[in-house]
Amino acid sequence: MSDELRNQDVPPIQVIDLHKSFGTLEVLKGIDFQVDTGEVVCVIGPSGSGKSTLLRCVNFLEEPTSGTVLIEGIDMADPETDVDAVRTRIGMVFQQFNLFPHLTVLDNLTIGQRKVLKRSGSEAEDVARAVLARVGLLDKVDEHPIRLSGGQQQRVAIARSLSMNPDMMLFDEPTSALDPELIGEVLDVMQSLAADGMTMMVVTHEMGFARQAADRVALIDEGVIVEEGPPEQVIVAPQHPRTQAFLQALEHT
Amino acid sequence: MKKQTRKRLIRGLLYGSFILIVVVFALSADWETIARAFGDIEIAIDMFPEVLTIAAKNTILYTAGAFSFGFVLALLLALMKMSTVGPYRWFANTYIELFRGLPALVTIILIAFALPIALGVAIPGGTLVRGSVALGLVAAAYMAETIRAGVEAVPRGQTEAARSLGMTRSTAMVFIILPQAFRIIIPPLTNELVLLIKDTSLLFVIGTTPQTVELTKYGRDFMSVTFNGTPLTVIALVYLAITLPLTRVVAQLEKRTAKAR
Repeated sequence: MSDELRNQDVPPIQVIDLHKSFGTLEVLKGIDFQVDTGEVVCVIGPSGSGKSTLLRCVNFLEEPTSGTVLIEGIDMADPETDVDAVRTRIGMVFQQFNLFPHLTVLDNLTIGQRKVLKRSGSEAEDVARAVLARVGLLDKVDEHPIRLSGGQQQRVAIARSLSMNPDMMLFDEPTSALDPELIGEVLDVMQSLAADGMTMMVVTHEMGFARQAADRVALIDEGVIVEEGPPEQVIVAPQHPRTQAFLQALEHT
Repeated sequence: MKKQTRKRLIRGLLYGSFILIVVVFALSADWETIARAFGDIEIAIDMFPEVLTIAAKNTILYTAGAFSFGFVLALLLALMKMSTVGPYRWFANTYIELFRGLPALVTIILIAFALPIALGVAIPGGTLVRGSVALGLVAAAYMAETIRAGVEAVPRGQTEAARSLGMTRSTAMVFIILPQAFRIIIPPLTNELVLLIKDTSLLFVIGTTPQTVELTKYGRDFMSVTFNGTPLTVIALVYLAITLPLTRVVAQLEKRTAKAR
C-alpha cells in the first residue's frame, strides 16, 4: 500500500448504492453510506433490518449483489483488488467472538501477524503483549479461550484485531452475546479505542454507547437507511416515525 | 393379574430360559473334543514366536502403510470434494462412491492381479506395498467422508474470523480449520483404523510369501498343516490384543470430546 493512496481525503469506508439479496429476499435495498477517518459510526435498527449484512459487505465477507464498496478508495469488487490484503487493514469483531479455540490467547493474537503480515515470531509476540495490556488481559496470555469469560473473550477478540494494526474496525453486535454484567468491560475498551481516534463502524443495540461514543448514528430498517445524523438527533430527538417506533420498542424491553 | 406381578413373572421367565439354554448347551457339548480342536497348547506354542515376529508384525505393517497412504489420499479427496472447482468435486465424488460401493476384495484383486496381468503395470515395492496401496485406496474413500464431515463441523465463524484477518482460503484451512477438524475426527478415524486392521485379512488373496504373510493367512496355513483349529484361536487372540485397546481408546476419546462441548 503506497502512502499517497492513504490520503486523508479518501474516506476509509464508502458504500455506494449497495444492494444485497439472499435468493429472492432483498436484504439491502440501495445503501449509500460513508465513514470518515477517525469517525465512530453506530448502525442501529431492528433485528433483520440488514445492519449486520451491511457490515459484512464492507469487508466482503458477504459479496454485494450490486453497488460499490470502496475501502480507502479501493474498489473491493474490482478483480484486480487483493481482497485478502485489504482485509488486513479492517479489524472485525464478531457477536460470537470467534476466537480460535485450539490456540492460546497469545497464538490467537500472533497467528494472523505471522501468517499474513509475515512478522517474525518475536515481533508478533511483542505486538500481542502490547495490545493485550491495552485491553487489560496480559495475565491471560497463556490461557485457552474456553477458560475465559465472555467479556474477556470479546476483549481478546478486539485485541486480536488490533494486533494487525488495522486502519479501521468493524463491530458486529459485539455485546449481544454477553451477560449483562460483562457488557461494560467490552464497551469500555471500545470507548477507549474511539477516544484514541480509531475509525469505527459499530452495529449495536447499546444506545448508551451510541450516545456517548458515536459521532454519527444511522438507523437501518427494511434494507434502507431511514435516518442518519448525530446521536443527539437520531437517538434523543428522532425525526422519522420509524426511528421513533424503534427507540420506543427498545425502551419497553 | 396385577401389573407388578406380571412384570416379575416375565422377568423370571426371561432369566429361566437363558439358564436353561446355557445348561442344555453345556451338557450336550463335547468339551473334550472342542478343547482338543481349538485349545491344543502344544500347537499354540509351536506358533510362537513367528505368529508375533512375522504375522502380527506384517498385519501391523500393512495397516500402518494402508492408513498412512489412505489418510493422505483421503485428505486430498476431502479438499477436492469441498473445492469450488467443479471437476475436482466430480472426481472426488466419483472416487468415493466407486470405492465405497465395491467390495474391498475386488479392489485388492484389481491392484494385485488385474493391473499386472491386463496392463503389465505392477506397483513396485513388492507385496507389502501392493497390499497397503490396495487397502489404502479403499480406506481413503471412507476417511475422505470422515474428514469432510469434521471440516464441516467446525463453525462457520472460525473461517470468517480467519478470513477477516486477511488469511487466504488455504491458510485458514491449514492453520485454523483442519486442526480443529482433526480433534473432532480422531475417534471416527481410530474406528477406521480398527476396520483396516481387520481388512488386512483379505490380503491372503495376493499370494503372500512366508515373509510377507499376515495373521489370518498365517493361521490358515498352520491349520492346514495341523488339521486343528487352535491356530485360529491364537490369531483371534492376537487380533483382539491389537483391536480391543484401540476401541477402548476411541471410547475414552469420545467421552472427552463429549465433555469438551
